[in-house]
Amino acid sequence: MRDFISVSPLKILEKSSRKGLGPGNLGVLIARAGVGKTTFLINIAFDKLFGRKKLVHISLEEGPDKVRSYYNVIYSDLAKTLDLTENHLIHIERDRMILAYVNQSFEIERLRANVKNLIENIQFRPDVLILDGLDFEKAGRTIFEGLKEIAKEFEVEIWLSALSHRHIDEINERGIPYPCHELDDLFSIIIQLRPEQSVIFLQLLKDHDNPMIRDISIRVDPNTFLALD
Amino acid sequence: MFNEIQNLRNIGISAHIDSGKTTLTERILYYTRQIFAIHEVKGKDGVGATMDSMELEKERGITIASAATHCEWKNHRINIIDTPGHVDFTIEVERALRVMDGAVLILCSVGGVQSQSITVDRQMNRYKVPRIAFINKCDRAGANPYRVVKQLRDKLNHNAVLMQIPIGLENKLSGVVDLVSMKAIYFEGDNGDEVRTDRIPDDILKEAGAKREELLDAASMFSDELMEAIFEDRVNEDLIYRAIRYGTISRQLTPVFLGSAYKNIGIQSVLDGVNSYLPNPTQVENIALDLDHDEKQVSLKTASDMPAVALAFKLEVTPYGQLTYIRIYQGSLRKGDNLVIIRSRKKIKVGRLVRMHADEMEDITRAVAGDIVALFGVECYSGDTFTDGSLNYSMSSMFVPEPVISLTITPNDNQSQNKMSKALNRFTREDPTFRSYVDQESGETIISGMGELHLDVYVERIKREFGADVVTGIPQVAYRESITRKALFDYTHKKQTGGAGQYGRIAGFMEPSEDGSYKFVNEVKGGAIPTEFLPAVDKGFKSCLKKGQLLGFPIIGMKITVNDGKSHSVDSSERAFSFAAIGAFRQAYLKAKPVILEPVMKVSLEGPSEFQGGVMASINKRRGLITSSTEDGIFTTIDAEVPLEEMFGYATVLRSLTQGKTEFTMEFLKYAKVPEALAEELKSRMREKTKGDKKP
Repeated sequence: MRDFISVSPLKILEKSSRKGLGPGNLGVLIARAGVGKTTFLINIAFDKLFGRKKLVHISLEEGPDKVRSYYNVIYSDLAKTLDLTENHLIHIERDRMILAYVNQSFEIERLRANVKNLIENIQFRPDVLILDGLDFEKAGRTIFEGLKEIAKEFEVEIWLSALSHRHIDEINERGIPYPCHELDDLFSIIIQLRPEQSVIFLQLLKDHDNPMIRDISIRVDPNTFLALD
Repeated sequence: MFNEIQNLRNIGISAHIDSGKTTLTERILYYTRQIFAIHEVKGKDGVGATMDSMELEKERGITIASAATHCEWKNHRINIIDTPGHVDFTIEVERALRVMDGAVLILCSVGGVQSQSITVDRQMNRYKVPRIAFINKCDRAGANPYRVVKQLRDKLNHNAVLMQIPIGLENKLSGVVDLVSMKAIYFEGDNGDEVRTDRIPDDILKEAGAKREELLDAASMFSDELMEAIFEDRVNEDLIYRAIRYGTISRQLTPVFLGSAYKNIGIQSVLDGVNSYLPNPTQVENIALDLDHDEKQVSLKTASDMPAVALAFKLEVTPYGQLTYIRIYQGSLRKGDNLVIIRSRKKIKVGRLVRMHADEMEDITRAVAGDIVALFGVECYSGDTFTDGSLNYSMSSMFVPEPVISLTITPNDNQSQNKMSKALNRFTREDPTFRSYVDQESGETIISGMGELHLDVYVERIKREFGADVVTGIPQVAYRESITRKALFDYTHKKQTGGAGQYGRIAGFMEPSEDGSYKFVNEVKGGAIPTEFLPAVDKGFKSCLKKGQLLGFPIIGMKITVNDGKSHSVDSSERAFSFAAIGAFRQAYLKAKPVILEPVMKVSLEGPSEFQGGVMASINKRRGLITSSTEDGIFTTIDAEVPLEEMFGYATVLRSLTQGKTEFTMEFLKYAKVPEALAEELKSRMREKTKGDKKP
């Protein structure tokens, strides 16, 4: 079996200053529509789950059944590619919780209450939250501040995905593009996904407090999102 | 002559217990001239309301089983499907919801939206049933229809809009103001038969104007034409009707009527509302499963010239034979037509075709798509799909889950024995997930089904409806055994005791099969076991699956491969090889490390979010694994996997934990290994039982 960690797209963080995102912090992937943000987030989830971390997948668009089936499809692709012999799905079911917020039910306070519930009532203490489907354009800064508070309060790292548009080329002085250009102080890791011909480039745009200038990027397979380098 | 389909309504009347469903139904049947006298629920006259068909219902003043009644109102034909208000009667509820196109949701003007209204409403959402609401009991002390409308909006997320306002309230209730025609309506005569319209009383004219504005606001969202008309001050009733109808059918608007069924106020307006705002059968999408194409969903057309598809949704035993209520979804039925029951492939002939009125049946010669009628003397099960034979469609999935729980049921006397048999025979026809059989070892009758409540309901019905005096045992979970590793066997069965001998040798291995089924693989080469004996080998293995050596539970998930053996030209026989298989099985089974499996249920709990924490804790305590939680408005749905063993008595726990506001459903998900501690406990229980059985 090939080691997942060695081909995980999160390999890019090995080159970062703290080798990861870390509890209390927010990380974001920026990509245009159709590049595969959800798939990428689920790959991050597998990276964590294979490392026996506990994870909450928060979906603002799809119900739990859909999310579960995404995981199953991506898992079976991974199993084929990596020749996984052991069936990890059993412990994945135990270590993953899906929280879905449908019909605009998502609110920071509700998320906080839900996470608290998991910890207090079923002793499910998450290490990572994956938040898929948050509309950065509409969300407003307070939502992200709330997420940052939650990350600190529960000592979790939170991964989000942000949709960028071809026609909006705003970029701030630190090189962070729309829609994160006014929020980059709240994020510790910012990764941009850029599809190019037959590969996707992941580029690290922000690395904690490190005013890095050097170019950190890796190439991933556009179908599996596994690292090619 | 009615326009057959456009003027047809198939509706359910749905409500919380005691909000007056039966009374309203009774009044509707009275005003539509289906019955000629009004009886009250739990009436002093001892007759009881007309729609309560089962004894149990009459006694409790509640309705459990669905029956369809036909009536006519202002050139429209209305089939009223009586819906069970209880969550527990899932199959009944599902079938009733399945066949209705719209519903009247009754709410009590005092009690408002209660937990059960929430449950019923959510079920209707699941089946996408458009509805209108009727706020009943406006004559009662404490009546406040405005509060109920607010609750409809806040608690049920309905875009509820008043179509009327009351003239007086509580004991001063005398009529309603219709906000579309802006007229006062009074219901006069002994039984409110005479509808008199008048001008709106001065003291409520202003309020009526304000509420009409609200109504127009809400309705104009569904019609640009109405919106323009409002601006240009040329609104007419037809424009309002059309806009509200569109909003209601698309389930974006809930028109609210009000009155008092008991005092005969407002019923005729509800009937007008049914005609005006609820959909006709062509406006509802009905889906069938194409069995020739892997149960692919196909949309049916409510057209009488298409091949017939109908669903049997309710059976009733009458003195003249079995009465089968059907809804025709596509095509038409004529007396003398041939139909095919998809489940059994049996052909039947349409003999008597009847339309059910409240207390009589009318023989008809033809019925068309959209209609609900009944067939006489057809041998079928409830839930069966009929087609004309050209289509292999089913209205519901053909997959029937295996029962996961069972209990013994014993009649106390001979008479009860007969009654119980009759009841069991009927229930197994109505509900494919309910089974009954006689255990060969103990001679006891066992009933099995999908959960504790499921069996409770039937036991109660056996007692009440069939008058059988029965006692039941403690519910038993259906445990299974399964092996966890590969084990080899090489067994020779040899018997030489005078006469023809027996000889057979079998070698190979057993291993777990992933999909949970039994598989027999023949890899014998060079005729080591003659081909004619292989079925006997397979049969021998199969016979061992019924009872595992570990604790005597049936074995699932095993693949057996036979790759060698030996036979004797004279002494080998099918019998000998069958015995050899049994010996080989026993030789290998314990080596293959069998474990005990228990049924694990997929449990879904829906209720107000405020109870989420407690509900999660209660599931966690029951060895449950919570897999997801969905927030939707003020509700939370929690999905979990919980061992069935742990779910006994959970309904009661959940009720007290959530003030009855959270409902749960469960269905079989999978078999999973029991924890060591429980396996040990089961073993000692079995040892006790065996000891007990051996005692004289």
